[in-house]
Amino acid sequence: MNIRLARVEDLPGMQACNLQNLPENYTMKYYLYHALTWPQLSYVAEEDGKIVGYILAKMEEDVSEGDEPHGHVTSISVLRSYRRLGLAKRLMIQSQEAMATVYKAAYVSLHVRKSNRAALGLYRDTLGFTVKDIEKGYYADGEDAYAMRLSLKHLAR
Amino acid sequence: MPPAGIPPSRALPSKESSLFKEVLHYYEDRQLKKGLKTADTILKKFPNHGETLCMKGLILTHMGRREEGLELVKQGIRYDLTSHICWHVFGLIQKGQKNYEEALKSYTQALKFDKDNINILRDAAHLQTQLRHYDALVETRHTLLRLRPQLRQNWIALAVAYTLIGNLTEAKHVLEQFERIVKNVPDYDVEMSEVLLYHVRILEDLGEYTEALALLDSSAKSRMIVDRVAIMEHRARILSKLGKQEAQEAWQGLIEQNPDCYDYYKGFLSNRGIDLDAVTDENRAQALEILRDFSVQFRRAAAPRRIALTVATGDEFKELFEPYLRSRLAKGIPSVFTDLKALYRDPSKRETIESVAHALLDSLAHAPDAPCPSSIDPTMYIWTLYFLAQHHSHLGRHDRALALLDTALAHTPTLPELYMFRGRVLKRAGDPYGAARWIDQARLLDLQDRFLNARCGKYRLRAGLIDEAGEVFGLFTKKDAPSPAQDLEDMQSLLYLTEEADAQLRIGNYAMALKKYVAIQKVFDDFEDDQFDFHGYSVRKFTINIYLNMLKWEDTLRSHPAYVHAAIGASRILVQLHDNPSLATKAASESHLSEAEKKAKKKAKKAEKKVQEESKKAGNATNEDKGLEASPPKDDDPDGMKLLQSPEPLERAAKLLKPLSTLAKDNLEAWIAIYDVAVRRKKYLQALQALNQAHRLDAESPELHIRAVDFKRRWSSLSDSERPSETVANVVSSALPSLVPDEVSLEQFNAQYLQRHSSRGDAVLAAAKASRALGAPREEVEAAVFNALNADVVLDLETAVAIDAFLSEIQSPREDEFRAACKEKFPLSTLFAPCSELPALRKSAVHKPVVEANEEKEEVVS
Repeated sequence: MNIRLARVEDLPGMQACNLQNLPENYTMKYYLYHALTWPQLSYVAEEDGKIVGYILAKMEEDVSEGDEPHGHVTSISVLRSYRRLGLAKRLMIQSQEAMATVYKAAYVSLHVRKSNRAALGLYRDTLGFTVKDIEKGYYADGEDAYAMRLSLKHLAR
Repeated sequence: MPPAGIPPSRALPSKESSLFKEVLHYYEDRQLKKGLKTADTILKKFPNHGETLCMKGLILTHMGRREEGLELVKQGIRYDLTSHICWHVFGLIQKGQKNYEEALKSYTQALKFDKDNINILRDAAHLQTQLRHYDALVETRHTLLRLRPQLRQNWIALAVAYTLIGNLTEAKHVLEQFERIVKNVPDYDVEMSEVLLYHVRILEDLGEYTEALALLDSSAKSRMIVDRVAIMEHRARILSKLGKQEAQEAWQGLIEQNPDCYDYYKGFLSNRGIDLDAVTDENRAQALEILRDFSVQFRRAAAPRRIALTVATGDEFKELFEPYLRSRLAKGIPSVFTDLKALYRDPSKRETIESVAHALLDSLAHAPDAPCPSSIDPTMYIWTLYFLAQHHSHLGRHDRALALLDTALAHTPTLPELYMFRGRVLKRAGDPYGAARWIDQARLLDLQDRFLNARCGKYRLRAGLIDEAGEVFGLFTKKDAPSPAQDLEDMQSLLYLTEEADAQLRIGNYAMALKKYVAIQKVFDDFEDDQFDFHGYSVRKFTINIYLNMLKWEDTLRSHPAYVHAAIGASRILVQLHDNPSLATKAASESHLSEAEKKAKKKAKKAEKKVQEESKKAGNATNEDKGLEASPPKDDDPDGMKLLQSPEPLERAAKLLKPLSTLAKDNLEAWIAIYDVAVRRKKYLQALQALNQAHRLDAESPELHIRAVDFKRRWSSLSDSERPSETVANVVSSALPSLVPDEVSLEQFNAQYLQRHSSRGDAVLAAAKASRALGAPREEVEAAVFNALNADVVLDLETAVAIDAFLSEIQSPREDEFRAACKEKFPLSTLFAPCSELPALRKSAVHKPVVEANEEKEEVVS
């Protein structure tokens, strides 16, 4: 199980992984946009050439006056058959480090479905995210999202 | 005053001249209605003013009136062939149509008449990059730099152009100059950091390692490069190449930063002279010691422990393997088997794994009826059973695997993984219906999990239950999409498109199969188009290293297995169409849309009507900029019949297969497919080359054998008038004997092949097919394939199915006999069940019918 920076040739594998796991999907151009704008932030878990998990991350572009720069997790998932290995946690940690070091991100944010207990457990209990907000009807099927946030000040160099 | 040298028809009096300038401004601001009106005012007096006609055409295109717009632009050019504006507009339109070759021609024309026009130059640069005209790109970038040397990106873009033509030295010079003169770089500038990393990479690629290291270190110290991981990775690599002592520390540092990255361990060991892919007996002990130290230092990381399993052998392997397996099974990790699968290439390791796992199971086994004793960990028990099931199934022992799974299921009936794998075993054993049913049971255990849903859909497709697959996929696709299939296609799901295409092909629906294979081709065309915007974007963002990697990826894009498979699949259909044109008309008469497809068609028609109504309302009033790119066309060929009946199937097949000859040159199936098309197009040299390539890969391949016989037969029966030129004939005559010797007849050649491989089922079939092609009577051919059933012949399911298909093709009365014999030979398989049993089998494959969503009613969400 190899955890490393995402390469351009990994993008189709990340897209396939995403389509198998999550209902929020993107076309290739969006993946390219992430990789070619913030090449340091996306990571993959790979086994024998197959992408079994990934984190697709960026720095938030719409930053209002006075706001600190912050990172955002666009999408993260691991194939069901590769769970219980702590891959999501490791992927997240590598990405966060890069956000803090390269872009001086003050915090990282993400959205998670209110009903997704497993993900909530990971973000809140394992990684230390807190719920900042509830965004009603955030998802295409109408479900609410928790907007979560984690400070990265402890990673500042 | 209009400058001299302009054709009289272009010059406008001052009033109209100002109006024209207004048109240009309105266009730039996308005030389309005003622009249109102003253009019309000019045209009233000067109806043949080329430039105004072109601008009007451009504006109309932006408003969605594309055909009208294009007509006007073409008219406009005809009236003013030397106007850079006209050619620029034409180029813009062609670029919007993704017609890059033609667009570049137009831009080049435009530059003839306005050679320092920055907008045109920049667009031309992007097109030149897209088309890989790198020499021209260098010229263009030089011009842009000369015109605007104060723009940082012009420097970088020139360096990139030099890199692309392989002139790294010049690229380096450009960057050096840039770094000397650049001013006011803020602290901690990510863009400058990326430029420096690009520079370091160029130095590395030039082999100037000391210089690369110096630049890297000084930039790191001054905090000009802010990407710590990149610094560390470059450092470690360069120090290793320079053979410096510090390299070890550098690799150590990387491992500390990410102890889960295999590349770092590889680098560390490589630095100590140990190649992880080729460990020798001499350095094995040292490698293991290093890995042991890392395992202790990084207790949580799996990587050093797992790598050690690859390196160790014999008893040492066993010592390391046992605790590794134990700890993982105790944790209940589903992926233990896939993690270890690579080790199975080594038969002794395979045996060790089996014995250790079974010993573990024995220690955990307990009576099924009694509750689990407290000394035994039930989690570990279940996952050990699961692991061993995977182990045995992988080695073809499906019965054993099923027994282990059933024990586990009795113990823990709520674990989806057990149901999933039971389904998988049945699939391997040739029972796609049972397989689908078990996967469905897994799915029902967690309806929130899309992974289980996707698997279920896939297995239904494998069982030929195409509508039912769509229903299941539809639980997770967008509700406002025309159909689940369309959503998955829009989201570029290669897995789905491949499975659906294969499923349609299996049930003989050539039209739909071809449609889906072509949809895959389109996805890759879209991937190729995606890069276009980045030619400008990445230079503006200065993320050069990854941009260069992206171009490389695009260059070999179609080596992706999904494209290769689709190209081969589509070409097979097209070849069949060529051989048997009645297939197209037969399909037309039988064509019927499935229930799901009819529904989707209705929904699409409804949506289309709505759009038309809305656009009629809005049409005249809107200022909406629809851009230059046409929106994707509606699906006007829902059952694929139009595509199937398109002319020149062989040419289309050749086009699909073309990239494979360079990008899939070690793929035997690809060369076979290339042969089948080439020989029918009478391209004998190409056909021969394909055979030679296949021969290089596997000289005794059954598929190759069939084609070799086929080629010689075709070649020998060419009449004098059909024979190609003497040069071609000479090449063939000299090369053919190494594939098919001259001295023996084709019948003898075939018999010899059979003799050499009589214990291989696929070879038996190949020889029979060749025999048939040579005119052998049907009874003889039948008898030949029946030999595949003999006890001493290795016959796998795939070949048995292929033989069955062949018997069907030759309309053999012995087909049922063969199927009955296969049923005996493959007791778990349902692939040879009589047709009468099919409806019951299909019904059994769906555990519970999916509640269909009705547009008016509320959805039932379980």
